[in-house]
Amino acid sequence: MTTDAFIPNGIAFCLAGTLLSGAAAVCGRGVFTHRASQGILILSNAVGALAALAYLLTGKSSLVLFKLPFLFHTAFMLDGLSAFFLLLVTVVTCLVGIFAIRYVEAHRDAYDIRSLNVTAALFIFGMQAVLLATTIAGFMVFWETMSVASFFLVMTDRKDASMKAAFLYLTMTQLGASALLAGFFLLGNGTMFVDFSMIAEHSTTLSPSMILAAFALLFFGFGSKAGLVPFHLWLPEAHPRAPSHISALMSGIMLKIALYGFLRTTLFVLPPLPATVGFAVLVIGLLSGLFGVLHAVVDRDIKRTLAFSSIENLGLIFTMVGLSMFARAQGLQALAGVALAAGLFHAGNHAIFKSGLFLCAGTIVQTTHEQNLESMGGLAKVMPIFTMAFCILSLAASALPPFGAFFGEWVFLQSIVGTLHGGDPLFVKGVLVMTLAVVVFVSGLAVFAMVKVFAIASLGAPRSPGASRATEPPASANAPVIALAALTVLVSVFSPMAFQRLSPSMMRIAGEPLPVLSIATDSLSPAALLLALLALLIVSVMFTIALGNRRRRACHVWDCGQPVHAGMEYTATAFSAPIRFFFRFLLHHRKTVVAVPVVPTNPWIATRTMTINADSLWFDTLYRWIARLLFWLSTQAKRLQNGVVQFYLFLIFLSLVLSLLLTT
Amino acid sequence: MILIPLLVQGLVMLLLAPLATGCVRFFKARLQGRHGASPLLPYVRFATLLRKEMVIPTTASWIFHVAPFAVVSTSLFIAFTLPLLSVAGAPLGLDNFIVFSAVLALGSVFLVLGGLDPGTAFGGMGASREMTLAALVEPAMITVFAAFAAVSGHSDIGGMLSVGGWALLEHPSLVLSLAAFCLVALAENARYPVDNPATHLELTMVHEAMVLEYSGTYLALLEFASWMRLAVFAVLFANLVVPFPLMSLPFSASAASAAVLATLLKLVIAMMGLAVLESSIPKMRFYRMQEYLSMAFFIALAGLVLSITTFS
Repeated sequence: MTTDAFIPNGIAFCLAGTLLSGAAAVCGRGVFTHRASQGILILSNAVGALAALAYLLTGKSSLVLFKLPFLFHTAFMLDGLSAFFLLLVTVVTCLVGIFAIRYVEAHRDAYDIRSLNVTAALFIFGMQAVLLATTIAGFMVFWETMSVASFFLVMTDRKDASMKAAFLYLTMTQLGASALLAGFFLLGNGTMFVDFSMIAEHSTTLSPSMILAAFALLFFGFGSKAGLVPFHLWLPEAHPRAPSHISALMSGIMLKIALYGFLRTTLFVLPPLPATVGFAVLVIGLLSGLFGVLHAVVDRDIKRTLAFSSIENLGLIFTMVGLSMFARAQGLQALAGVALAAGLFHAGNHAIFKSGLFLCAGTIVQTTHEQNLESMGGLAKVMPIFTMAFCILSLAASALPPFGAFFGEWVFLQSIVGTLHGGDPLFVKGVLVMTLAVVVFVSGLAVFAMVKVFAIASLGAPRSPGASRATEPPASANAPVIALAALTVLVSVFSPMAFQRLSPSMMRIAGEPLPVLSIATDSLSPAALLLALLALLIVSVMFTIALGNRRRRACHVWDCGQPVHAGMEYTATAFSAPIRFFFRFLLHHRKTVVAVPVVPTNPWIATRTMTINADSLWFDTLYRWIARLLFWLSTQAKRLQNGVVQFYLFLIFLSLVLSLLLTT
Repeated sequence: MILIPLLVQGLVMLLLAPLATGCVRFFKARLQGRHGASPLLPYVRFATLLRKEMVIPTTASWIFHVAPFAVVSTSLFIAFTLPLLSVAGAPLGLDNFIVFSAVLALGSVFLVLGGLDPGTAFGGMGASREMTLAALVEPAMITVFAAFAAVSGHSDIGGMLSVGGWALLEHPSLVLSLAAFCLVALAENARYPVDNPATHLELTMVHEAMVLEYSGTYLALLEFASWMRLAVFAVLFANLVVPFPLMSLPFSASAASAAVLATLLKLVIAMMGLAVLESSIPKMRFYRMQEYLSMAFFIALAGLVLSITTFS
């Protein structure tokens, strides 16, 4: 089969296979059905990944795959942007599917396998289809398929906390979806059956204020799905409650779908926006990065930490996209191109390392039965292979060399500094300096957060009975984690090439043509960096073997004369104490120490308990007031419900008159 | 061929690194009225440590064995790539300032992991402090070099030397960046007022607490890495102020020997300055580090803002 025929067939196979795996899962609750369903999912997504990759590498123009006979004849179309995101979805789904085989089997008692697999398949299908749909109706239908399916996935374990998190998530996601719908209605003059290109045509006739209103609605819709501050409250609640392989999908790729939607509308649908809009996106992005990373540093739950880190990473991605919009409005085309490509590149890296980290968290929770970092520890000694992959993924998530995420940030910062050298207006330079300062600050703290997750979970001595019983997971559970860790290194080596592929001109992100990236890939080489570090590592190992004394003696740690036990170790709370102290004005964490004297007469000998009250600044300042306002409004509205039928009839009449007045 | 100056530079730095620490200890002792050990003592210590048997904690995992090599290779990386004796420039953007600070952060991360691995309270304490410092120093460092990059138009540190020396007078705002660089360098190398390298006291320890469980060859590597870091920062600072005489292409023996002698001199003078500084200021309480670190960051930011407003 030629590539031309393979691409549409492969993607059709992928979509059909994902639906089929859901259908297969309906058939039963047994292990065999589960395995068959996951097998179909893995196979179809692997084919889909190959097709998307083939499309990206051949660099074709946009490709209409097929038209649906229903849903207002929604056409499924593939272009550079959707192919890139489809590649992320299919690759991650494929690896997560392998992980799910054993993971879900092990949780047969806690989860209902049938409903879990059916909703997961629908969730994945929604994400794939939303990338390909070209009409508003199709987009919204698949968007809602994804959102509603993920709502059910959050409450898979049917615990009260999960239910609460799921309903918070549902509220936010439905608010976002209605904002999206309203935004599309504004742009499309009230119809939702047209496709994006027709809306783009129509939106050029709209007034600037209308465009701004539509943009604000769309940004709220996509931003709340992407977990941007201040619409992020649901994310650290919902992502950790879902089963770990679903958390990997939600954090790794569902957030990217929101990014895709945002890029699709701002780059392809909306007319060029003023610089202030780009600036607003940039500021929201920086704010998300800052708050996400601070909470990621101080949180104690492994999956919540990763969820906060997702907020931070999405914040960085939106910073890059916002800067690109700002730069384009200011006429800095080169910076706009690099920043956009850096955003896409970071999105790809984040999909890889974050899904890998959530799978790691899943393995750890499964083997230790603990989700709290304080009760882990000592895993590196008993699970060496797993922790090596975990270590690589955490380093990749810290954007340290020689991993892919580092290259993205490197190029991004480099292009900002390069632009500072030019003679642009001071206002532009001020924005660039602000971006630079906050981004480097956030990336410094991101290292802290990731080191905390890895080190507190896997180093030291085990701090709970569960952690001390941990064993190396079977190869089938390790394989996807190792594969994702290997991918981070692979992406790093090929990052200049990948970066070129993601440049706006290659992706055919039109508007006005952006120049091909002027980053000379031979002047910045992550492969050389990797090789240099490896060479020095080998030299130092050889030096030690040649000259060092090889005699070793195992002994307990230095103990000041009394036995050391795991209770003396640094925990996550202790480890992040300096940051919690330094940023206490932003974190709103209240520490209370209660000392109860053991002997009433001597206050110095006491048992102390410490609690840290982790409130959210945003909840205290913003959401509490919104909630109060809503309660007040609803109590006022209650007065209308006085039970008098004539009054209700009067209200109906009044609304009829009002609507007649408004429509004429 | 272009690698010869870099190789010479790396080897000279390998030879000089222990001397830096020896010198600063010697000068400090003299300033405090003690006789002090010979500046060459670290060489002896390195050789002794290499010959000693290693004691490996029973709680240690593979990280404990990987960390010393990872830390020492990051230190060697900066010694080979930065413009210390040679302005020939490392190829492929290896002396890029973002790479420099990221590689330093990578080294700090492995040091932290090695400190946490045995699971002692001391190791955790040092690790937590070191991680805090590394995370908050990195932004200041990038901002410092961003100012140099914005003025010089080069993102490789070798190119930034073109605005060092007398050229600093044309861009006085870079003096602020240099001051911030000093603060960063003190924090990165665990010197006063951030850390007290001379004591083993749990209230003050940062670096020493992390390497407490290491012994023998591993300790030799870790100590060497920290000596190397100190020497590199000292020479880099000296080169920003006095960017000559340095090797360049084509390689010549006379230029190389001049550069080596000059580096020796720069190193000794810088260590003398460090000893004076360490003898005249007290160590800061760790929980006041936020003031120090935010000062470093904001001075660096002020340097950057002033240089882009005055420049162009």
